[in-house]
Amino acid sequence: METSESNSYRMRFKKILLIGALVVIAGIAVYTFLVLKYDPSFVNLEERLLPASLEHPLGTDHLGRDVLTRILLGSQLTVGYGFLALLLAVAIGVPFGIFAGFKGGIVDRILMRIADAFLSFPDTIVAIVLSGLLGAGIENLLIAIVIVKWVNYARLVRSTVVVERQKDYITMAKINGLSERRIMVKHLFPHLIGHVLVLASLDLGKIILLISSLSYIGLGAQPPAPEWGAMLNEARPYFQSVPELMVFPGLAIVTVVLFSNLLGDFLRDKFDVKKEVA
Amino acid sequence: MSLVSVNGLSISNKQKDIVKDISFQILKGEWLAIVGQSGSGKSLTSSAIGQLLGPNLRAAGNVSYEGMNLLELPPKKMRALRGTRISYIFQDYQGSFTPFHTIGRHFQEFLKTHLKLSKDVRKKKAEEALKDVGLQPEIYSRYPFQLSGGQLQRVSIALALLLEPDILIADEPTTALDSITSFKVLQLLEKLQQEKGCAILFITHDLRHVKNHADRILVMKEGEIVEQGEKRQVLDNPVHPYTKLLIEASSPLRKPATEKILEVAK
Repeated sequence: METSESNSYRMRFKKILLIGALVVIAGIAVYTFLVLKYDPSFVNLEERLLPASLEHPLGTDHLGRDVLTRILLGSQLTVGYGFLALLLAVAIGVPFGIFAGFKGGIVDRILMRIADAFLSFPDTIVAIVLSGLLGAGIENLLIAIVIVKWVNYARLVRSTVVVERQKDYITMAKINGLSERRIMVKHLFPHLIGHVLVLASLDLGKIILLISSLSYIGLGAQPPAPEWGAMLNEARPYFQSVPELMVFPGLAIVTVVLFSNLLGDFLRDKFDVKKEVA
Repeated sequence: MSLVSVNGLSISNKQKDIVKDISFQILKGEWLAIVGQSGSGKSLTSSAIGQLLGPNLRAAGNVSYEGMNLLELPPKKMRALRGTRISYIFQDYQGSFTPFHTIGRHFQEFLKTHLKLSKDVRKKKAEEALKDVGLQPEIYSRYPFQLSGGQLQRVSIALALLLEPDILIADEPTTALDSITSFKVLQLLEKLQQEKGCAILFITHDLRHVKNHADRILVMKEGEIVEQGEKRQVLDNPVHPYTKLLIEASSPLRKPATEKILEVAK
């Protein structure tokens, strides 16, 4: 009784947090569209390294650019590309996994060995090598991340499909003469949405971190693009005199990663099968 | 007249043969029962007829139906046969339905695949089929988990017989049901069989399910057919010791008992 009460309390807490996050995001969107008055790459050397003021709520950087503007527009880059990478990874991995799992036998073995080959190197290293090979730039970084991440979805989906495929309702659908594509799309896919959503929301944080860290070492977004990781890198020489320059983009990354993890936890609880039974 | 004839069918996985070179015939409109304990290969035999074996199993031999070898039929042709000419019902009535689709959607999808009918006509057809198996038409909009086992098994029978197939393969359809419900389901099957004239291949491990309804019996043991023949002949004068054992194992069932069930059921 008590545990279920504290559970529901925790669920509510998470809900409030999530709604709060949504409100913040909406607020930011409104702010960037209505209030924002600075050019993120406008260089004004007379106003360099200013402390926080009404004019510049988070101060200015070493080239006199408004930090708040850059962080807010950077969210489009960091979070936007993060989402895009995630979407592409899901769009490749899910059909791949469904197909391999549903076909089974030799097709499954071949496809999954391909996936294993992708999995056998650590994410970050592969991403660094690929974006190094393709040349620095956020588009190439995107490609590298998709190549690294889609395998997780393929594997997750396949493992679920392999279990579901053996159940009678799939056999029944085959017996009823439905096409394999229809079975995969209408009878198998809805089972997977929950799992994929949970993994995706947990992955979003990791992808954002990856984008930022690769941009930090100069492989992702190139200056003057206001990517958070790149901003951290640019602020590095001024760390001792103006530490805020590193703190704000850092905070932005932490916040986004934290919320995407919370979202993942929340969704995982929501789709928890055990809870349905109880 | 022979509808399906199975000649030298073997089913094997990588290690060994599970079904060993069996041959039998299914006659038009008859009720043929395959009896045997778990692992005797009876379910695999029935799956092989509809090309439903898993990817790790291989079937060899010949299953001829209207001049075609069902084992080697291209997938597209097989798909056209399934559901229309050959249909199945399973033991696991709960698992036979996609959990997040309503009963109606199952009917809709099935009819849409095979016939060109408008949505309303399809619905009408489905509701009639539900009535035929003794269910309320309201079941149409229910989800599988809202129905009882007996109801679900009736729905699967309705679906299986919807397009009047030549043969219905029933893989232990009553095993998971309680005895009264299974008795009723069997009666329903027999009634529908007489109306529609389809052959039934009835897989079971329990001779009691066979006694009242089957025309012929085929006994399988470890992948081989040990005995087959007319029901009375097999039940009254079993030749193979394994058949004798099976009959002994289900001895308490006599005719009065089924009458008793009938009374209680009323």
